[in-house]
Amino acid sequence: MDTFAFIILPYIAVITFVVGIIYRFKHWTRTPQPGKMTLSPWPQGGLVGNLIKEALFFPSLFKGNKPLWIFSWLFHAALVLIIMGHLRVFTSLIDTVLVGWGVNVKAMSSNFGGAAGIVIFATVLLLTLRRLTLKRVREITNFADLFALILLIAIIATGNSMRFGGEHFDLAVSREYFANLFTFSFTSLVVPASSIFKLHFFLVQLLVMYIPFSKILHFGGIFFTQSLIQKT
Amino acid sequence: MAITTEEIKQKVVDSITSIEDGPQVLRLYMDVCARCGVCAEQCPVYYGGPDEMRNPVVRSDMIRSIYKKHTTTSGKLLGSLIGAEDFDGDMEKWVTAFYECTGCRRCATFCPFGIDNSVITRKGRAIAEMLDMTPDTMKRVVQASLETGNTDGASPEAFMSAIEFLEEEMKDEHGIDIRIPVDVVGAEYFYVPPSGDVLVNPEATTGIAKVFYVLGMQDKWTMSSKLFDGANYGLFTGNDADMKADNKPYVDEAIRLGVKYMFMGECGHAYRIMKMMMEKGKWWGDLPFEVVNCMEWTADRIREGKLQFDKSKNPMRVTYHDPCNFGRSCNIIEDPRVILEASCSDFKDMTPNRGENWCCGGGGGLSAMDDIRDFRMHVSGKKKMEQVKVTEAKYVATACSNCKRQFMQLIETHKADFAVGGVHDMLSRSILIDGKAANRIDWEAGD
Repeated sequence: MDTFAFIILPYIAVITFVVGIIYRFKHWTRTPQPGKMTLSPWPQGGLVGNLIKEALFFPSLFKGNKPLWIFSWLFHAALVLIIMGHLRVFTSLIDTVLVGWGVNVKAMSSNFGGAAGIVIFATVLLLTLRRLTLKRVREITNFADLFALILLIAIIATGNSMRFGGEHFDLAVSREYFANLFTFSFTSLVVPASSIFKLHFFLVQLLVMYIPFSKILHFGGIFFTQSLIQKT
Repeated sequence: MAITTEEIKQKVVDSITSIEDGPQVLRLYMDVCARCGVCAEQCPVYYGGPDEMRNPVVRSDMIRSIYKKHTTTSGKLLGSLIGAEDFDGDMEKWVTAFYECTGCRRCATFCPFGIDNSVITRKGRAIAEMLDMTPDTMKRVVQASLETGNTDGASPEAFMSAIEFLEEEMKDEHGIDIRIPVDVVGAEYFYVPPSGDVLVNPEATTGIAKVFYVLGMQDKWTMSSKLFDGANYGLFTGNDADMKADNKPYVDEAIRLGVKYMFMGECGHAYRIMKMMMEKGKWWGDLPFEVVNCMEWTADRIREGKLQFDKSKNPMRVTYHDPCNFGRSCNIIEDPRVILEASCSDFKDMTPNRGENWCCGGGGGLSAMDDIRDFRMHVSGKKKMEQVKVTEAKYVATACSNCKRQFMQLIETHKADFAVGGVHDMLSRSILIDGKAANRIDWEAGD
């Protein structure tokens, strides 16, 4: 069981993700678009700048719904911090660089990482609550939307429990494990024993495989759809 | 022979799976939607009647879920886990749903991804059209337009007598002969008015005639006695072939007349088709003329200081309703305001306006459908009435025959105390010719 879920599946998950995303992006780019559909007033400034602005700050959503903008912006900002923090698990290089700059990596991890963990948990719950209570959102909620949310909540909860719970995350053991996965060193590979870690990582793999088939694709799609209405 | 339910299902599924090959915009909208519901909040239809079937995402999902089910392996395997559903075969629900979207594109302005649900609506209508299920009221308009060249089915004789009447009116107003040239080969500007403008809302045409007169360009423009209605309902039924068939005669006429400019009147969708689709899409190759809009042209003449006005002729509070096809699709936004501010003494914008303006409730061709008048009056047009009321305007200027018709019916239904008309109408009443504005006592009585 461990062999499949934590030695074979990681490769399947990464391949599914990469191939799936490339397939989607390629297909999107290759589909012909006759005519333009720029939305007026014509956007000011360059297309690339405007796309980056949309992706970083969600100005359209800001115009459309301020409370949702706050929740979703905080959610995505925390997510970015968390993904950056997780890079430390895969490589010690970041630690070396940061320590070289005189940064207290441990303190930074527990301050920013901890805060991001709390923010993302709070916002995902608020967004779920919104989805379930507001009529106009509830009626467009299908099984796929709930599946994505439940998966996210479970991943965030297990992740947070490794920071705030009794059984703390073991960086050294995990780093070793991922280093072996990266270098295909199966003889020296030891799957971390922590069951909460295993659950967290298993769910993450499910999510990673689910992304190319789901609405979570919007993280890349935004550049395509926004450029359709912003290209003058 | 009647078509069976199974055949209908198959045709719908085939049409939807063809999205895989384009257009790109539809293909993307099948995959990208975070389902946040912001569109519903910004939709005039959902605002007026928040039923589930009027939620833009629910409507778009009718196509999206079938697409996922039938084009992707994941959809076949994972089904509802990724939002894939089969077609339920209910075409009646289908037609109602896609003819309850006004295609105003307001959702795209506020959607974080810029998803334009009107594109999906047009696909839904195209499928209805393919199955010969376009509502009769819409079908009749298309038919009339393809047969007679105009959506009212008016004859060249009726048009000519209307033109004569307008010339007499202008003679009464100014005491001089201001001509409306017709069928002049070799003119520079071919004026294509919106549907019914010459017959029903004639002041826009007199306004334009007066601008040409003041500029000393009376012999530079012309209308056509056969083609005097830019309306093109192929855009609204989703039928590309009809859209092009309706467009072609106008292009041929412009070439026959040898004009430099196709001079489009106050009609949002007609201008959008000519400017954004026909010209840019090179439907007929490179054209020997350029498409311009009368409002940007007149506004430029005002900016150049070539036109003078007696604003006191338009003393009432005037507001401007941005037609969706001008305000959100063609960037004709400041020009009408330049004309109105120059010709009216009390112009006030409604809020929100420009690209964020609310649809009148009759967009997407719905305005022509009297079988859904109640829906337009009480659901899709609800927000608009509230918006106008706040401005306390006595005249709503707008540059679209569909908007005007919708407004006229809204005024009648809700017994509202304001009038609706065009932008050049206001200009016609106050423009100075030889230092004098039109002598029209009846307008001062408080129309």
